Amino acid sequence: MRRKFAVSALVFGLLAVSTLLAQRGRRFQSSPFDESGEVATPKDANEKTEWAFARLRYPSIQSGNQMWSMRGNWAIDYPKADRQFVSGVRRLSRVHARSVEQVVDLDSDDIFNWPWIYVVESGHWDLTDAQCAKLREYLLRGGFLMTDDFHGTYEWEVFMASMSRVFPDRPVKDIPNNDPIFHVIFDTDQRFQVPGTVNWPFTKTYEYDGYEAEWKGIYDDKGRVMVAICHNMDLGDAWEHADNPAYPEKYTGLAYRIGINYIVYAMTH
Amino acid sequence: MFEFLFKYPAHVFSKGTIVLAGGWPVWLLILVWAIAAAGLGWVMWQSKPTWSRMRSASLWALEAAVACLLLLMLWQPALSVSALKPQQNIVAVVVDNSSSMKRTDADGTRLDAAKKVLNAGLLKDLEKRFQVRLYSLDSSLHRIADVNALTGDATVTKIGDGLRQLTAESSGLPVGAVLLLSDGADSSGGIDRQAITEIRSHRIPVHTIGLGKEQLSKDLEIRGVDIATRALADARLSAVVRLRNRGFGGQRTKLEIRDGSKVLAAKEVTLGKDGQEQAESLLFSAGLAGARHLTVALKAMDGEENQANNSVSRFIAVEARKPKVLYVEGEPKWEFKFIRRAVEEDRSLVLVTMLRTTQNKIYRQGVANNKDLENGFPTTAEELFQYDGLIIGSVESGYFNMNQQELIRQFADRRGGGVLFLGGRNTMSDGGYDKSAMSEMFPVSMTGAKGTFEREVASVELTPAGRDSLILRLVEDPEKNVARWKTMPKLADFQAAGTPKPGALVLAEMVTPKGKMPLLITENYGRGRTAVFATSGSWRWQMTQPKEDQTHEMFWQQMMRWLASTSPGQVVGSTPNALLSDEGKLPLRIDVRDKNFIPVADADVRAHIMGPQSTAAEVKLTPDPVIPGAYIGEYTVPIAGDYVAEIEAIRNGQRVGADTMLFRREDGVTENFYSEQNKELLEKLAEETGGRYWKPADAGKLATDVAYSEAGVTSRETYDLWNMPIFFLLLLAMRAGEWLLRRKWGAV
Repeated sequence: MRRKFAVSALVFGLLAVSTLLAQRGRRFQSSPFDESGEVATPKDANEKTEWAFARLRYPSIQSGNQMWSMRGNWAIDYPKADRQFVSGVRRLSRVHARSVEQVVDLDSDDIFNWPWIYVVESGHWDLTDAQCAKLREYLLRGGFLMTDDFHGTYEWEVFMASMSRVFPDRPVKDIPNNDPIFHVIFDTDQRFQVPGTVNWPFTKTYEYDGYEAEWKGIYDDKGRVMVAICHNMDLGDAWEHADNPAYPEKYTGLAYRIGINYIVYAMTH
Repeated sequence: MFEFLFKYPAHVFSKGTIVLAGGWPVWLLILVWAIAAAGLGWVMWQSKPTWSRMRSASLWALEAAVACLLLLMLWQPALSVSALKPQQNIVAVVVDNSSSMKRTDADGTRLDAAKKVLNAGLLKDLEKRFQVRLYSLDSSLHRIADVNALTGDATVTKIGDGLRQLTAESSGLPVGAVLLLSDGADSSGGIDRQAITEIRSHRIPVHTIGLGKEQLSKDLEIRGVDIATRALADARLSAVVRLRNRGFGGQRTKLEIRDGSKVLAAKEVTLGKDGQEQAESLLFSAGLAGARHLTVALKAMDGEENQANNSVSRFIAVEARKPKVLYVEGEPKWEFKFIRRAVEEDRSLVLVTMLRTTQNKIYRQGVANNKDLENGFPTTAEELFQYDGLIIGSVESGYFNMNQQELIRQFADRRGGGVLFLGGRNTMSDGGYDKSAMSEMFPVSMTGAKGTFEREVASVELTPAGRDSLILRLVEDPEKNVARWKTMPKLADFQAAGTPKPGALVLAEMVTPKGKMPLLITENYGRGRTAVFATSGSWRWQMTQPKEDQTHEMFWQQMMRWLASTSPGQVVGSTPNALLSDEGKLPLRIDVRDKNFIPVADADVRAHIMGPQSTAAEVKLTPDPVIPGAYIGEYTVPIAGDYVAEIEAIRNGQRVGADTMLFRREDGVTENFYSEQNKELLEKLAEETGGRYWKPADAGKLATDVAYSEAGVTSRETYDLWNMPIFFLLLLAMRAGEWLLRRKWGAV
């Protein structure tokens, strides 16, 4: 009898716990998003084109918090986000785009052959002084940098720790709604926070204390955006999972429109 | 010697004709010659000489020649020449009275030399035979009483005008000859053909006495400066300076262009061979809009005999207008971005762009308002022709309908604009241009093949024509410029545009993996010009060079200026020379076109002229009977100084357009140039009119020679020639020769 009671109590307890957990949320339900990033190489991968998705490979910051340090690096979402996005660029614009990405770094001069570069998880980068100098030179010659997928106060500070060495003399400004960068192809006045898949099932869209999406930029002397900073959002995830029904279309749509606008802006300004 | 042998000077022979004064017919002389020669031959044959036939023939020839010469003398050869009748003719003595005659040579001034020649007996000799009238010459002719009236203070010499005046004023007088004493320094740059023809028609010989050194020993001189008379603000201009040195060959001096005291450009030049003209080019910025009075100057060398000819002035109208260039691009490209950036730096150009960002969207930049190009590429001449230049990028020809294609062609042909075709995957024959109506305006014959655009790097080389082109001038020094181009980064891509057409100019070539091919080709097309730049990869010049480097910007700004800066407006005023040197007459020509750039023949065209000392005038221009839309007129510039002409064309009460011209008159400057005696001019003048060129030392014989003239009151004089010493000497020589030969051959 005692044994029978014990088993019944255990079953009841498990049911109660699982019910409670189910009521709290589906935290332990498996994510519908494949984060491996693996994707087949397209047949036209070697085509020479006008534009390619140039992803910047950078050194990540090393901090006392090992878990945090490991969380972000240059290859997040690589290469699926890049290729998913490029397919949209090809379909929605006349940009002659290569189907596969180009990985570039700030250690060789090859970067000057790629006037548009993308940095993911820039809240984790830690550029050397030489890399800062090269990035500054690159941008002042006419290159364009888009940063994405970094969130909250702490990652902003890490981002700025390098960026303020690139441009100690240029402030980061909010890009106003009427800036051509938001209208060059698509009018994107109505912008919102684009969440990463970590937010699934998207009951909230922010990470850490990055509650509001921030559209910032660093301008050159002629008032042109050189560095387009997408803070507190994850456009890369929106591109990467654009083919996944579990990722809301409205976020993907905005991420594509923003990305394409930034490319065409970089090719016109 | 000639006169000793032939009894009379050579020029008397050149003026006269040979006659036989004996009265017997010429045919008889020939017959007697034949009989004498035959008789002598018969006698020689009868004597059966023992020597060879060759020796017999030689002796016969000598004897026959003696006989013929004697017979000729019997027929009394004579010279018939027209000569002025004593005391019945006027000889005009004209003395150059300009400031160049005050230049000092070895024996005092040239004017002193002229007075010396006249006072040394020439005037008296002339007065013995003729009535002598003395004139001083500057911009016109003035009769003077004596040589003391000559001061050398005049700022101008116009020999042609002076002689015209003389012939016109003395048409009823028996002027037998003109004697001109001058250094040949003519303010108008020489005597035109019409003036010489006019003087010749009066058959008055002009004898010239050249004064001044024929060659200076130490001198630098600017012989000419070729420079644009109009330019856009901040335009890069080229001045080609022609200079010559005497006695400084191989030495170095400084050449500079100044605007007031501000030096715009300067360079060290190595002076060429003595007496040879050399050309040096200088590049400089036109600066802000307005009138630019430039001085081109050579630094004086030690011991220079004349330093006043080391600098010249030029007048440039720097225009405030901003030419507009329309750039249509078919797809987002880095080239597009970096061209825009390069041209944005140029405050004197407006670049309007339309870019096809998607299949149905056009992104416009640089438009004046939201309506501009709202419906895409212009469909009317009025809309398209408001631009001065047009760039067509990677846009397939089919994007333009037939009307638009014809408008693009007319843009260059009729409007006079510049059209530049850029390389790209949708242009040239890849874009179907070889089969379009626009193919004829390309400076290349396209291959018709597809796949001519390749994304492989290519390096750039200048051609010989490119070395002289302002489009490709990155460094002022031509050699350094060539070297600079060799260090330019490679282009990102290239296109096999085709073969340059006859008349096209290849300014740069590309060295590609597929061999060398033209990169930048230009040609004139109708009133305008076209070009092909067979790449879309020059953006690497910007991205792969330090940010401070300006070569990419410089190239594209210069390219745009070539494209658009010379495109005419609807009303364009012009004159052959905006800098009048001692010249009072300014010819004006105004071309008037409507908004479609069709010539307007019924406009009211006027020039409102303002000058120094409140000078103001209005000139109404009249239609040119030959050229539609052209109006011509002339303004007499009263005094030296700067002038502005505001030109306005009105048709049916509506203003068609306006233009502004600047011009300047300066007096007394040209006298400083060509400081050596212009012997060539004086010789030519004498030769063309039947006179002679004289050196001052020979002038003593002039009074006799002047008598031989066909002008004025003349008589025909006959001078015996049978008694010329040459005949006697010939006879003697021939007889002596025969005797020597016979002696040598043993016949004597």
